[in-house]
Amino acid sequence: MFAYIVRRMFQSVIVLLVVGLVAFSMFRFVGDPIDNMLGQERTQADIDRLRGELGLDQPIPVQYYKFLREAVQGNFGVSYRQGRPVSTIIAERAPATLELAFVSGFLAITMGIALGVFTAIRRQGVAANIIMTVSLIGVSLPTFLIGILLIYIFSVELDLLPSFGRGETVMIGNWSTGFLTTSGLKALILPAITLGLYQMTLIMRLVRSEMLEVLRADYVRFARARGLSDRVINFRHALKNTMVPVITITGLQLGSIIAFAIITETVFQWPGVGLLFINAIQFVDIPVMAAYLMLISVMFVTINLIVDLLYYAIDPRLRVDARAT
Amino acid sequence: MILRNSAIGLAMLTVTSVQAADFKWASTTDPQTMDPHAVNSAPVLGFLNNVYEGLVRRDKDMSVQPALAVSWEPIGEGDGWRFNLREGVTFHDGSTFDAQDVLFSYQRASGEAADTRSWFAPVSDVIVVDDYTVDFMMTAPNPLFPSSIANWMIMDQGWTEANDAAVPDKEAGNYATINANGTGAFKVTEREPGLKTVLEPFDGWWGEVEHNITRAEFNPIQNPATAVAALLSGDVDMINPVPIQDVARLQEDGDVEVIQGIEARVIMLGFDHEAETLKYTDDAGQPNPFRDPRVRKAVAQAVNVDAILATIMRGNAEAASQLVSPAMSGYSEANAERPAFDVEGAKALLAEAGYADGFSFGLKCPNDRYLNDEAVCQAVVSMLAQIGITAELEAMPVRNYWPELREDNYDMYLLGWSPGTFDAEHPVRFLVATPNEEKKLGSWNFGGFSNARVDELLPAIQSELDQTKRQAMLDEVAQIIQDEQVYVPMYVQPLVWGTRSNIELTQRPDNFFLLRWVTVN
Amino acid sequence: MTDTFETPSAPTKSRFAKFWDSDFAWSFRHSPVAMIASLVVLILVLSAVFAPLIAPYNPFDPASLNLMNGFTPPGTPNAFTQDTFLMGTDDQGRDVFSTILYGMRISLFVGVSAVLLAMIIGIVLGLIAAYFGGWVETLIMRVADVQLTFPAILVAMLIFGIAKGVTPPEYRNEMAIYVLIIAIALSDWVQFARVVRGAALVEKNKEYVQAARLIGRGSFPIMFRHILPNVLSPVLVIATISLALAIIAEATLSFLGVGAPPTQPSLGTLIRIGQGFLFSGEWWILFFPACTLLALALSVNLLGDWLRDALNPKLR
Repeated sequence: MFAYIVRRMFQSVIVLLVVGLVAFSMFRFVGDPIDNMLGQERTQADIDRLRGELGLDQPIPVQYYKFLREAVQGNFGVSYRQGRPVSTIIAERAPATLELAFVSGFLAITMGIALGVFTAIRRQGVAANIIMTVSLIGVSLPTFLIGILLIYIFSVELDLLPSFGRGETVMIGNWSTGFLTTSGLKALILPAITLGLYQMTLIMRLVRSEMLEVLRADYVRFARARGLSDRVINFRHALKNTMVPVITITGLQLGSIIAFAIITETVFQWPGVGLLFINAIQFVDIPVMAAYLMLISVMFVTINLIVDLLYYAIDPRLRVDARAT
Repeated sequence: MILRNSAIGLAMLTVTSVQAADFKWASTTDPQTMDPHAVNSAPVLGFLNNVYEGLVRRDKDMSVQPALAVSWEPIGEGDGWRFNLREGVTFHDGSTFDAQDVLFSYQRASGEAADTRSWFAPVSDVIVVDDYTVDFMMTAPNPLFPSSIANWMIMDQGWTEANDAAVPDKEAGNYATINANGTGAFKVTEREPGLKTVLEPFDGWWGEVEHNITRAEFNPIQNPATAVAALLSGDVDMINPVPIQDVARLQEDGDVEVIQGIEARVIMLGFDHEAETLKYTDDAGQPNPFRDPRVRKAVAQAVNVDAILATIMRGNAEAASQLVSPAMSGYSEANAERPAFDVEGAKALLAEAGYADGFSFGLKCPNDRYLNDEAVCQAVVSMLAQIGITAELEAMPVRNYWPELREDNYDMYLLGWSPGTFDAEHPVRFLVATPNEEKKLGSWNFGGFSNARVDELLPAIQSELDQTKRQAMLDEVAQIIQDEQVYVPMYVQPLVWGTRSNIELTQRPDNFFLLRWVTVN
Repeated sequence: MTDTFETPSAPTKSRFAKFWDSDFAWSFRHSPVAMIASLVVLILVLSAVFAPLIAPYNPFDPASLNLMNGFTPPGTPNAFTQDTFLMGTDDQGRDVFSTILYGMRISLFVGVSAVLLAMIIGIVLGLIAAYFGGWVETLIMRVADVQLTFPAILVAMLIFGIAKGVTPPEYRNEMAIYVLIIAIALSDWVQFARVVRGAALVEKNKEYVQAARLIGRGSFPIMFRHILPNVLSPVLVIATISLALAIIAEATLSFLGVGAPPTQPSLGTLIRIGQGFLFSGEWWILFFPACTLLALALSVNLLGDWLRDALNPKLR
């Protein structure tokens, strides 16, 4: 097990290096930062000078090497747009995204599993079928449209919830939290629903489909024959055995929550790293884009690692495999 | 005297505490820096005009009025300008303003690293005469110099040097990037780049207070629909801009108001004048028809600007006949006519030029730079299709757009130009003069248009002190631009702001929003 | 009479008859939801395919557009031109109904192609990874990690950028659609690969696979004949949502500025344009394309739901 983890760590570092290289080779396709940094009255000489100062005239491997050399020491450079260290900016923005991702992930998992189990047990029921159909409406429209519709209904027409931003936040150490104020909590509702809706539906459908299969498996029939109560069968036996694929998908969805946060944050002007990243793309703020991608890579690689480890923990048959690889 | 002052202060205090007002506003972009010399862009300069001040400033109607200078007069026959500075002005940190700060700010704003350097191209020397008198010496007579530096903001030498910010640094940033210390009516009390910036009134301001704001908060909101929602739900008090299509709906809403004006920015179509051949579509490699003025004129006649204004701009913009709007100084009254919409005439011109069967070409367009830019380009495509020329439209974000134009990857393109000096000479210098790197001319003349007479008139216009003679020369240039149809000016972009109905404010044609003219009722 | 006809025609008719009598068809005939959903999908797909015959206008032909027709409400004559449009017109004076039909062609083409591509890549790589293990698995799954790291938006932007650099300018607009397909497929295949691998890892150790191995069947037959059918259930769950998702992903990319060109809009581009008119009163520019997308995506999803249950032998 230990050797396996060490090997996975080593692979992860290689993954990170490759991500970085790919990222750096694509930056020049995103656009040219120079025009954003110089005003209307710039000359070609200004453009060349700035390009030289930023090191953008150097070959990509050289730029990448320089970035890595600094990044290893925790220095991700200075944002072209804000003129401040990228690490500071990301540290400021991360709490907003993490809180949003946490709330919507929590919503998606709890609601997804609960509704999934319900619709599986009451497969033929009217309520279950309505839930199945209605839940699909949420994934049949683009996220940005759902966000805008929610804003339209709940903040413009009903005037119940704020239309943008995080509300008031409280600083706990370096962490700004929206959990402690009413306006902060209210501001979380719409973005969290927008972000979690798709994941919830996916988890729900998956739990339902796995439950349906498991409920027909022999051991569940035996359990029923043994006279165990439905509750025990449904939760102790059936639900537990649906968890392998659910964990896989949920793990993957955690990643896509962060990716989807880009859209949600743009629609709700949520001051997280996703919005920062979109701004960085618009401005071609290379240091911010590079740092964001590295951060996301670290996160994904970690999630993957955990999901794989959980696999081994849950399904004993796979342990044989671990030794083989 | 002291007694009276404090009495007024007391009265003011009661008044303001009754009307004590929190004000929140939103715009699409966050000013990227608090350094007034690092970035020469409208969002930055517009925002910082609340915090910093220049020697002169622009009033509600754009006229130039005294600010940190109480008066100014020419030295000799166009040798330079003398500025007499205001006494008793203090910066937000309490230090006093004097001529040294002006000299320091000149050096800072005209240095290599400053984005505002071009403003000082005509300056040969700056001389501090005494604590409150400064002379700006010119390389050539420059009648427009005082009004050209309305956005040049004065920083405190002591504060700036003490914080190691004596040179603007837009790449790495420095103290002045996130902190500000001006003489203006508002001081920055909180700055979270990209999220919010909080301003509070500066008690020691020299000017007469017209606003009743006690705290003002700025939030950037990128998605236009979200911004409209924020205004409608009362989360913010003012947004800039309002999407054109929402104007009517907001006007019907009793809680909000729409304030409209005409911006200085003229939206136009540009051509590749230099390329021998077309670069796009099936006709790539064919001779470039746009080198023929008749073809350019045909384009001008084929574009139904009135229809664009009526539908896409919803009657919120004005047609343009030249590169500047009528509100700018030096606008040519003599050339106020724009080519009439005339499909048959356009076809005839094409036939005359030998393109009776039409041709196809590539049209480049930004999709996040000007109001409804992409929709306007689409409309142009279908209008040109009526006269038999087929445009293949490629619309892209502005970050890809400028590099594309610089590399001449277009046959025709869309451009908006706002003259920084509010004078007709500005677009001639940047858009029409033959590109000349050394003289800093024609730096946005992507198509490479070149006309000897224009190049000859430009320096003369720049140094002419006599208004009548100057206007005659500007008229001649405007005439040449129209005859040659160098560009096809379409319309002047509208300014559309939205406010809650309890807000009174002033909209300046340069799209600058000044808090000192805001009243919250 | 029936008997005499039945016997000779059996070889030709039996295939359909067999299908009609199968559990699969039986389940279809007894599921109103599946029947309605497939009817909706059928109508939408047919009207997209035959758009040029059905649509009253050709919105992709700029010469046919009249800007003055812009913002005509549904079923009301335009104030200037007196033209009437079933679903109104958009800001360019395009007939919304025709534009939806043409747009749906693009959306369906992008969606179906992208999912097929993603599925093929994902299944093949997932099976290979699970079956061979070792460094092959490591390589594939680490590539998947790299892939997952890049948000779909970024993958699309990257491919857009590269494609822009390598295609001659005159083909760029045609290229946009194919770039979208590749971009969406490349951001989607990992889901298939990971789920197929996860499920196949479990299947691999089951007796039937060991048995197949013992009797000397080759790797590929085992993978595709034996393992694949048994991991299809989760693949179908993902594929159904993926088809709807791919169509929606195209809309999202368009919201972020990389989508189908505005002169040849897809359903997603129409919604992106339409959302700008949500507050302005021109509801039809958003409403009709959004409803069409909803009907399409919802039907595909419902059909997928049913298909999954129907194809699963364990649920019969």
